[in-house]
Amino acid sequence: MTNNEGNLHSSIWEKMTKIDRRVIYSLLLLVVVIPLIFPFKLRPKPMPPVEKLFNHIDTIPEDKCLVISVDYTPDTEAELHPMTIALLRHAFARRKKVGVLCISLLGLGLAQDALTTVSNEFNSRASNNTDSIIYGRDYVFWGWQQPPLVPILGMGENISKVFPVDYYGNKTDTLPMMKKIKNYNDVAILVSIAGSAVPFWYITYAQTSFGVRIGAGSTAVQAADFYPYLNSGQVTGMMSGMKGAAEYEQLVEERCNVFGRRKATDAMSSQTAAHIWIMITIIIGNIGYFVIRRRKK
Amino acid sequence: MKVRFPLFLVLITGILGALPFLIPHSIAQNFDNEFRNSVLRIIGAFSLVLGVGSIIRHHLYKIQRQRENWEYSYILLISLIVSAIIGLFGGIDARGWLPTKIGNFSFDIQTLYSYITVPLGATMFAMLSFFMASAAYRAFRARTFEATLLLIAAFIMMLGSVPLSSYIFPKLPSFAEWILTVPNTAAKRGMGFGISLGTLATSLKIILGIERGWLGGTK
Repeated sequence: MTNNEGNLHSSIWEKMTKIDRRVIYSLLLLVVVIPLIFPFKLRPKPMPPVEKLFNHIDTIPEDKCLVISVDYTPDTEAELHPMTIALLRHAFARRKKVGVLCISLLGLGLAQDALTTVSNEFNSRASNNTDSIIYGRDYVFWGWQQPPLVPILGMGENISKVFPVDYYGNKTDTLPMMKKIKNYNDVAILVSIAGSAVPFWYITYAQTSFGVRIGAGSTAVQAADFYPYLNSGQVTGMMSGMKGAAEYEQLVEERCNVFGRRKATDAMSSQTAAHIWIMITIIIGNIGYFVIRRRKK
Repeated sequence: MKVRFPLFLVLITGILGALPFLIPHSIAQNFDNEFRNSVLRIIGAFSLVLGVGSIIRHHLYKIQRQRENWEYSYILLISLIVSAIIGLFGGIDARGWLPTKIGNFSFDIQTLYSYITVPLGATMFAMLSFFMASAAYRAFRARTFEATLLLIAAFIMMLGSVPLSSYIFPKLPSFAEWILTVPNTAAKRGMGFGISLGTLATSLKIILGIERGWLGGTK
């Protein structure tokens, strides 16, 4: 090999370790956007934590309800909002009563959006009053209360006392559903969906003090933090990241025959392509690094 | 007085906050419920006033002194006032006494939230993925044995967190799940114990007035 050839090769290897960030960004943009426009269908296989959560909600007795705590903000909407929608679809399809609250103020609008979207979906297919999803009878939106400790601990004592009026200004204890739902004793599971530490507060205070079952929905980055609690049984089941949401959507569609737009499943092709692209860049960087290191030796 | 009174308050509220977890008697429990449901809520309401007041003061000061990017403070203040007025008087979905609809154009608080707050928040978070991709490319080099282990774990997790992996390697998602369930849990539990003990020690130091940093550096 001549000196020139050697320099040329070493410059290629060096370039492999120093790809311009604009190239990485541009290609990442493409691999995210193209699969969103032309998605390839990937059927998610539900993992045990998701299946546990689904099964628990599926078997909620008639006198108990599901509580969803919408604790995420718009920044994590893409990952977490499909979880709320899938949970609501599941609960409404099985005629389970649902109570919704927010610990994060910015969650209010997202909770309202999810409730409107899913109740409209069901009501557009309903033929009579029994089929319909009716506010106050099938679900209640308690709204927001602060500081966080007040609703988290207070609901163990009396939900209507913590939320004297609901999000729409109705007196909570006058709503038909609330005649039977008094406190955590009437809650089969509380699912906290958050990109923050809120589910931990539920575990620390609500689960420990009142024994209420806790489910969690978290961003993929944060999911690892919940596994110790999942193993100890303090968390009954969980959805982690967009994949967790897609798995839950899959279960809802397969077992409840509820069809609707599956945002998390749709986004899976984009996430898959992005992950593969990131792995490719890491491999390229490492090949360049190893060749340079070998030559230096 | 300036120092002793807050210290005394923290001592009392700290003890009152912890005792109900240790005393299951109904008197302690009822007192705790009342304390939490009434007192904490009132303090929370005050903190809202304090928060809004302090953000307005900060940005007015910034505009007055024409500090760096002071022009944006106008946007913040106008957005704060407009959205507060719409939210307070327009109702959640245009059912308040303030009209929030002109023809087909509505600007109720839910609309503002859905079409301004949500896209802005999502945009900020979406940009993170670009930085993460670039950082992963630069940081994940198999320089040492530990770095190689980290790299392998990252690859397994990245592949395991997309459905494609179950088509290529059917056992990979379960293996990724095992990593989270066993080695991750073991490490997290150890860290958890350490963090909890640290939190307990710091809390005790604050309650007993040994740690006074929260007083703002006053002696």
